[in-house]
Amino acid sequence: MERNVCVIAGGMSKWGVRDGSQRDLFQEAAKACYDDNPHLNPKDIDGLLVASAYTERTSYQTHLAPLVAEYVGVKPRSVCARVELLCASGSSAIILAFALIKSGQADVVMVAGGEKLYTPQKWEVFYSELASVDHDWDGTQGLGLPPPVFAMVAKQHMKRYGTKKEHLAAVSVKNRRNSSKNPKAQFQTPVTMEEVMNGRMIVPPLTLYDCCPITDGAAALVLAVEEKARTMTDKPLVYVRGTGQASVNNMSANMPNWTTWEALKIAAKEAYRKAKVEPKDIDLAMTHDCFTISEIIEMEDLGFCEKGDGGPFVADGQNDLGGKVPTNTDGGLLGCGHPFGGTGIRQAIEVTRQLRGDAIQQVPGVSIGLTHNLSGFIAAHTVLIYGKEVA
Amino acid sequence: MSTPGISVLEGKYMVTMDLFPQESKEFNQVYQFYEYLKEGRFTTTKCKDCGFEPFPPRILCPNCYSNNMEWIDWPTEGTVIDVTEEVVGVPLGFGKPPLVHALVDLGGKTTFFVRIINCKESELKPGDKVKLAVFDIDSVPQESGREVVNIPRVFYAFEPVK
Repeated sequence: MERNVCVIAGGMSKWGVRDGSQRDLFQEAAKACYDDNPHLNPKDIDGLLVASAYTERTSYQTHLAPLVAEYVGVKPRSVCARVELLCASGSSAIILAFALIKSGQADVVMVAGGEKLYTPQKWEVFYSELASVDHDWDGTQGLGLPPPVFAMVAKQHMKRYGTKKEHLAAVSVKNRRNSSKNPKAQFQTPVTMEEVMNGRMIVPPLTLYDCCPITDGAAALVLAVEEKARTMTDKPLVYVRGTGQASVNNMSANMPNWTTWEALKIAAKEAYRKAKVEPKDIDLAMTHDCFTISEIIEMEDLGFCEKGDGGPFVADGQNDLGGKVPTNTDGGLLGCGHPFGGTGIRQAIEVTRQLRGDAIQQVPGVSIGLTHNLSGFIAAHTVLIYGKEVA
Repeated sequence: MSTPGISVLEGKYMVTMDLFPQESKEFNQVYQFYEYLKEGRFTTTKCKDCGFEPFPPRILCPNCYSNNMEWIDWPTEGTVIDVTEEVVGVPLGFGKPPLVHALVDLGGKTTFFVRIINCKESELKPGDKVKLAVFDIDSVPQESGREVVNIPRVFYAFEPVK
């Protein structure tokens, strides 16, 4: 019999510059996750995957999964391990939980992800980020923090397709407006077009509001095989329909194309095929808006608009509430922040709520939702597709 | 030299806090890259079986999976495709802002996104020529038996051709 996989609970800690340790944040996320579904008995969770990228670096803690299990009160017996793919760690863990449940190796798996990035002196996280890229070859060029890379992407996209600074700003205004409605988001205030256009310069053409912040936070999700899921929640079931993950290069010297992300197209194609949908079927999307230009390119390479039209597409409100494919309805990375291991899980939580019909900014008539992450030096892309029905 | 708050670190070298890789042959099988760099040469490895020239240099050909690699010289001069200048967020160890990077076409071999040094703000433009610039970096105090030997190191960036 086909084993279908459902999301049955999800929750997150408050994200931001947080007063707490890594383990505090995981406990807050688990509490929010348990509160999301009172019918779930955490004792029934048989597996735990923990997503965290900088745990050794900023919390000096490896072997993290058993620690989280102990703190959140689960006793794994099918799987208990950590997953790392920097910004896509959380989505990677969801893919693996899905595969383990699908194959019968696990029945009910918690995926918990997060980071404590801020240390008592802020230089340390900037310095640690030199490990995010190929440390020996790109990190040594000072390319750890990503703004120079995405500034180059933006410049090339502007040159090639005529994308404007106003198009970038439209993404920031939309996502900050959305995050202002999300009490868990790092940024609780909207920003105006004028504020964004006059923001503090980081790497031209990117200003402060074009860049997602550094964030402490955690999120947790529980996935279960359908037959158990039916007994563990009274909310509508949300199914994982298809996944894709691709990498075609790592170091900057091997980047095939700065304005079309080949690995994103490969990952999306794979996810669409498995989910038995096409780009036109996607009702809403949580895409990796680490920078405003990223969301613009993602609209193109996910197939929501023609190549090169991403700028006008976002500026025209086509990926806003009421548009063709509402995107980052919870605020995205630009509004919620980006604790690497937590982000893919945060996206899954928002898609789950939208599909269940209990999102804060509910999009009407949603039946298929997509999440996307990029990671590293735009070196890997991860796409998941969720639905109200099985594929 | 002690680190405030970390009393045990007096006089200690921490590889986990090093900006640069280990370059000595005891720790790195492509150490010749750095030896050639000291001679002003920019090199990589070429597969003797299939002719592929991967960068970074390596000991396994990712194209045909042979380990029959040889060192070859690559151009030390390239052409700027575009430039970025990081005003805020420059990591420790990379000097005062702006930190300049350029996407450089290295003689048709590949495009690198590299740091540009000896370059003033707004100086570099698309189409400009840049050349390899090799500089000394901190040496590594490496244990050799009971002795500690300082291993000198270099690294590279590019600089405008003037």
